[in-house]
Amino acid sequence: MTDIPPNKAQRALHLHRELDKVWADLPGLRGFFTSVNHGTIGLRFMATAFVFFAIGGVLAMMIRAQLATRQGAFLSSELYNQIFTMHGSIMMFLFAIPLLEGLALWLLPKILGARDMAFPRLSALGYFCYLFGGTTIVLSLIFGVAPDGGWFMYVPLSDKTYTPGVNADVWLLGVTFVEISAMAAAVEITVTILRCRAAYMPLTKMPLMAWYLLGTAAMMLIGFPPLILGSILLELQRAFDWPFFDITRGGDPLLWQHLFWLFGHPEVYIIFLPAAGALSTIIPVLSRTKILGYGAIVAAILGLVFLSFGLWVHHMFTVGIPHMALAFFSAASALVAVPTAVQVFAWIGTMYEGRVQFRLPMLYIIGFFATFVLGGLTGVMLAMVPFNWQAHDTAFVTAHLHYVLVGGFVFPMLAAVTWWMPMISGRWRVAGLGESAFWLIFIGFHGTFFIMHLTGLLGMPRRIDAYPDNPEWEILNLVSSIFGMIQAAGFALFAFDMVMQWLFGRRSWRNPWRAPTLDWAMPLPAPSYNFASLPGPVHDNATAILPLAKGEGLLPGAPRGHRETLVVEPASGKPDHIAVLASNTALPVLTSLAIGSFFGLMLAGLYWLTPIGIVATLVMAWRWGTIMGVDYDPPWIEVAPLLTLPTHFSVTNTLAYTGCVALLVADGTVFASLLFGLGFLNVVAPNWPAPETGWATGMMGLMALAAFLVILAATFAGRKAATSRDPRVWTRVGFVCAVLGLILMAGLATGLDDPRRHAGDALRAVMLGYVAVHAIVVAMLALRSDRDARTGRVGPHRRGAIPAWQLFQRFLLFTATISLTVVVTQEVL
Amino acid sequence: MGWLLRSLAGPVLWAVLFSAVYALHGIGCAGGWQNRPFFWTDLQHAVLAGLWLTGIIAHLILVRYLPSGDGIKQFLIIAGTVIGLVSSAITLFPVVIISSCLSL
Repeated sequence: MTDIPPNKAQRALHLHRELDKVWADLPGLRGFFTSVNHGTIGLRFMATAFVFFAIGGVLAMMIRAQLATRQGAFLSSELYNQIFTMHGSIMMFLFAIPLLEGLALWLLPKILGARDMAFPRLSALGYFCYLFGGTTIVLSLIFGVAPDGGWFMYVPLSDKTYTPGVNADVWLLGVTFVEISAMAAAVEITVTILRCRAAYMPLTKMPLMAWYLLGTAAMMLIGFPPLILGSILLELQRAFDWPFFDITRGGDPLLWQHLFWLFGHPEVYIIFLPAAGALSTIIPVLSRTKILGYGAIVAAILGLVFLSFGLWVHHMFTVGIPHMALAFFSAASALVAVPTAVQVFAWIGTMYEGRVQFRLPMLYIIGFFATFVLGGLTGVMLAMVPFNWQAHDTAFVTAHLHYVLVGGFVFPMLAAVTWWMPMISGRWRVAGLGESAFWLIFIGFHGTFFIMHLTGLLGMPRRIDAYPDNPEWEILNLVSSIFGMIQAAGFALFAFDMVMQWLFGRRSWRNPWRAPTLDWAMPLPAPSYNFASLPGPVHDNATAILPLAKGEGLLPGAPRGHRETLVVEPASGKPDHIAVLASNTALPVLTSLAIGSFFGLMLAGLYWLTPIGIVATLVMAWRWGTIMGVDYDPPWIEVAPLLTLPTHFSVTNTLAYTGCVALLVADGTVFASLLFGLGFLNVVAPNWPAPETGWATGMMGLMALAAFLVILAATFAGRKAATSRDPRVWTRVGFVCAVLGLILMAGLATGLDDPRRHAGDALRAVMLGYVAVHAIVVAMLALRSDRDARTGRVGPHRRGAIPAWQLFQRFLLFTATISLTVVVTQEVL
Repeated sequence: MGWLLRSLAGPVLWAVLFSAVYALHGIGCAGGWQNRPFFWTDLQHAVLAGLWLTGIIAHLILVRYLPSGDGIKQFLIIAGTVIGLVSSAITLFPVVIISSCLSL
């Protein structure tokens, strides 16, 4: 039934005041630390990302100043190494990814017709992890201990032997800390798109931007875990001498390259897809027509998401990989151009069909076409192995990657910022400034990087700080440097334009672009709650702005004083229940500080104090659950006449449950990457197998079997608790079994060989550690479920934390079975 | 959600097949399969080509039997199965034409 009758119209101002009281941030500094609203957090992400972009840009100018002449004396070699490493790391980890996260957090609820993201506190936690981690990385430059091994931190250069200081630790720990925000955003984006859309908005009719962001989030869930694992392994090697990458003890530096590029190449598409989403949103409106080939674009996204995971080895073509493997990845690298081309032709076709208006966002889109297509073509050149061998590690690759990343991300994102700025600021831009900024950026960019292709083909390697014996490179570099400064002036003017618009622009009228999407069905600037009443089948586009403001849509106002939004079934968009979301709280910032204390202690080398950080994080995680249940059966809520829905307290298929599934997909990828590492070293690395061990195989097998059996018993207890009317016995059994499993694994660990002896021993210890960490998580969930059961939060329809516990418990059983088998099998073999 | 899973089936099969062939290639090279004759070829090429062809047959089955529904859902299922088939055919065809374990 998709005919939902409208609610009775109310006074729009009354609804606004009622909602703003519930959804607004607290005033002043308290608001900064307690806000969880997606609008605030999304804007903060974007603003912080642009600050880091400015820092990265200044570093780029220093690089160009150094390279402008043959014997550049602007920077010492040591400082130059830090600066080019920081430039790449900042642009990738502190600008590009957070900017797309910020755009997604800010935009998604608006374009999907919801009031907030699925997990507001997770948004805030992600932001503070990003802010603290990013600030630490940047501050390291001031203290002269910034990472200096290149943005991909290849070993052995980045291991303790060749980087004895903390420079590499700053990168490994800082980036991993920042990546918590990426994983949080990936889970949030996935769940929000699948569950928090307008009523009866099916997946097949949602805006293309949502498809792009769904693809991005899925790629982040799969793409980031290999790097997280790689960073953990390298930090373990640096801190405790576990030799995962030490070839003399069964490790292999190529394992790092595999894990890094398993993340690194999909990363390019993770960055590109949201930008392409912005293009697919803006192009049809500014061409005054509909997008051409909606289905073909969705299919292209599907193809890109998968194919982009089959290309990573093209970054390693020169390391000595067998011809056949090179051919697999060369073919995949060429093939990925097809879905990209489908999108480019769909955009060109849309413009051809319509009447293009050359307004400021369209200028940036033209800049995108001119830049990205060139970058794509040089990408196909680099996908060909013989050419790659010639151009590898030269300035040609630097030019290519900047064409792809600036063309495929920066130009579209600048278009996006100018597009949505009226919604952010409520103001229209100052005429002329934006166009001038565009031309400076466009001319400056191509002047800098087009010529760099030639510099590279003449043989200039990347990352050198001087070239005294190569006068033929000097004029090319000088030209690049001059245009680089022009480009920087363009970006500065862009920033000035934004500030001028915010401060002095005239008030924008509603829907200034005459766009059809729901994000424009709200007053400008966007209010804290987005929609006074939620869109549905009757009010499904931007023309519904007045009926929605007057409460004629679904779930009008905030009469219960809670932050409520609609949750739907994933595919059809059929309304399922009402989620009561978290309100302003300092818990996210405190949790990020607790996590940060662990990373800080690791960075300081105070390893024996790191349990303090772990315990602090666990305490915060425990507090996270305290607001997530009620000890009574909440009444159902009237969403519209004839449509009444339960709250999330009374259903099992909640947003949290979907979020746990998404999180476990990422978690499972970490585990799969670990198995990949084990298989890779076993097959490829020299000095295998590990030397004979001392412990009795039978004893080890017995211990592993006992650990498996108690985990199995805990899983059974979780299952019984899920269906029992009084689950208290089962929650306690589950908790005791989890603790017993931990004790048995600790016993098993004492029987393993010293992890410093051989990479095989180190990998076994990591696998056992992985299982132990998950056993701690399920023990906490079992305890939380027990607490819920004892405090009345569990009833016939209220299940508290039990569904999440059950899910993690099953995951633990699966991974523990494999891990324990591997640990024992390695002993036998 | 059924149509979405059907759309994903082709690319997922490609991912599994690609991973399996790449892993088996490494195992074969480490085990010296390229030096063991197998009919008119060697064991390495025979195993990899056999796996590839099996995968292609599985893809063809998906292309033939998976599409259902109508409109854009059907289009996406067809597109997904074809993307999987073409990807497997193109990215893994080297198993039949290129030397297996030689490197730089």
